[in-house]
Amino acid sequence: MTDGVSLDSLYKTYDGGVTALDGVTAAFPAGSFTAVMGPSGSGKSTLLQCAAGLDRPTGGRVFIDGAELTATDDTAMTKFRRTRVGFVFQDYNLLPSLTVEQNVVLPLRLAGRRADRHRVREVLDRLGLGDRAQDLPERLSGGQRQRVAVARALVTEPAVIFADEPTGALDLRSAREVLTLLRTVVSGHGRTVVMVTHDPVAAAYADSVLFLADGRLAGSLQAPTADAAAERLAHLGDRVGAEA
Amino acid sequence: MIAVALRNLRHRPGGFVATFLSAFLGAALLMAFASLLDTASGVDAAAGHESLTTTATVGGGWCLIIVAFAVTSTLTLAIRQRDQQIALLRSVGATGPQLRRMIVGEAVAVALVASAAAVPVGLVLGRVLVGLLHDTGQVATSVGAAFGPIALGAGFGVTLLGSLVAGVAAARRAAGHGRRKQRPRLRRLGAALFLLTGANCAVLTATLMYGKGIDAMQTAGQAGIWASIGLALLAPELLRLVTAVLSPLVRLFGAPGELALQGPRLSSAVMPVLLFTGIATGTVYMQGIEDRAAAGTTQPGYAQDIQTLNYVVVGLITVFVAIMLVNTLIAATAHRRREFAQQRLAGATRGQVTAMVALEGLLITVTGVLGGLVAALFTVLPFGSARAGRVWPDASPAAFGIVAAIAVMLTATALLRTARRSVRGPATAAVRS
Ligand SMILES: Nc1ncnc2c1ncn2[C@@H]1O[C@H](COP(=O)(O)OP(=O)(O)OP(=O)(O)O)[C@@H](O)[C@H]1O
Ligand SMILES: [Mg+2]
Repeated sequence: MTDGVSLDSLYKTYDGGVTALDGVTAAFPAGSFTAVMGPSGSGKSTLLQCAAGLDRPTGGRVFIDGAELTATDDTAMTKFRRTRVGFVFQDYNLLPSLTVEQNVVLPLRLAGRRADRHRVREVLDRLGLGDRAQDLPERLSGGQRQRVAVARALVTEPAVIFADEPTGALDLRSAREVLTLLRTVVSGHGRTVVMVTHDPVAAAYADSVLFLADGRLAGSLQAPTADAAAERLAHLGDRVGAEA
Repeated sequence: MIAVALRNLRHRPGGFVATFLSAFLGAALLMAFASLLDTASGVDAAAGHESLTTTATVGGGWCLIIVAFAVTSTLTLAIRQRDQQIALLRSVGATGPQLRRMIVGEAVAVALVASAAAVPVGLVLGRVLVGLLHDTGQVATSVGAAFGPIALGAGFGVTLLGSLVAGVAAARRAAGHGRRKQRPRLRRLGAALFLLTGANCAVLTATLMYGKGIDAMQTAGQAGIWASIGLALLAPELLRLVTAVLSPLVRLFGAPGELALQGPRLSSAVMPVLLFTGIATGTVYMQGIEDRAAAGTTQPGYAQDIQTLNYVVVGLITVFVAIMLVNTLIAATAHRRREFAQQRLAGATRGQVTAMVALEGLLITVTGVLGGLVAALFTVLPFGSARAGRVWPDASPAAFGIVAAIAVMLTATALLRTARRSVRGPATAAVRS
């Protein structure tokens, strides 16, 4: 199986001197759904941002869909991301002055591509947002906003979708909707999804869980159940606590 | 809440720079003109008492209107940009009156510090004005410049009062309702009043002042200033109109063009461009008409006063409004750091964000310059008719071209430099702050 994303000894040290990633090597097979878990501050967001080309690692290499992310300047990184990567944020990051539909087609328009209105409508319909296309984000609930954000991440048909705590701000029902949606993106459309989460129930939607502690890999779990993920996470906390 | 206000000032001094600058410059200008009245007390008619009081009342009067307007609009803008912080404070239990005390407290504290800092500048500017009047022989050289209670009273009084009124109004808007409520009707009513006053002055100039020579300047000059303020108050409507007309052109630029058309309207940035263009164009052409009409004729003694005055006032106001312009644009753009970051996260390159800002700048400048041109006509047309007997001035459009070019240059520099600074660094960090 080819890899959707592969990371080769990734290091990231922030300006302040904090080492957030301390040599992470990992592969995410194409068409898989992986959850990334770990204690707060273990470097999950940093890992995702470096892998998605939103931030530059201090060392190491990133491959997405077979292509290496070698871009050095911001514009080149943006262009690399445009075609290959979709990103979903915990706090949505929708543009408040654009309507739902305008938000969704924005990545296409920025890439200078025509937006196929019918297809966009179809995607919005499928996400249950068909009648909200002309609304501004401020008039949507958190769950609806996050579904718009997922639609936006899908619109360029990227090979890989990264999601950083996409359900962190949602209630149980909205969270379930978003997770089911991400699951369909993998099973129905063959995309690769990498999702950071604190919630073992959310992790159970994934094919596997990758654990992170202190910027290093700390094991993985195949076909996770919520209980198993919670248990591993708790031990991870113990170990990190004991070391400190 | 006063404690929160002071902590805000200490923690985020950057957020108050714009307000501080406009209050500081305004107070300095007012003090300079008001100090002429201090100087005039104890000066007799022969030594130039009247020159001093005329300069003070005419120059000071113009400044008063513009400073009050500038301070209020900057402060309102600054407060509006903090609706997030205000919503946060409300969500942790701050009541309306508490928020109001915080906002008004900040406004008054900034005004106080700004007025105090303006004292030395006002003192020096006042001396320069008296020096000018010495040089043109309108005031005896034996008269020394004074700086006393009138200067201090006017400087502190107007700045504090303006800030207080603007603070209370903005605080009511911010704290009174959960969602900020615009008051377009009140604004439009104000605009209509200012425009009517301007039209009235214009009509008076063309009728009552017809053939009265240089005296027609008084009403003609006012007409343009009132009209500028009236049109500045209509900035949102004017910007919408210009945007609609120019949208096919802007759309040619692709996604940045679409974003510029869809984004939040920056009508607050139109105001200073319009004021600058209107007042500068109006005064320059008015003085040009006067100079041509007066050439070779004998003039009343105070014609010289008025000429000096016109150039001094227009110079000072131009500098003031230019600083306001840069000030407002920087404040309006810096506050959009998060918006720019979100666009970049959605796939916009830095170049695309900058292009969007440039196109917005284009819409702002076109609106401001055209509006200013219309406002200037309130001065130029009636004065031309009253002074030279011809409505359309016999003058080259070059001066207007220069004014417009200065407006374009100031807007472009301020906008692009701030935008470039705001897109520095990774976008992921910018959405978090
Ligand atoms: N922009 C930054 N500048 C400096 N240090 C940072 C920055 N972002 C993160 N860090 C540090 O890097 C480490 C890892 O942060 P990261 O955000 O990746 O953790 P995380 O696992 O996502 O945590 P959480 O679960 O709380 O979101 C932390 O120690 C954090 O303080
Ligand atoms: Mg995180």
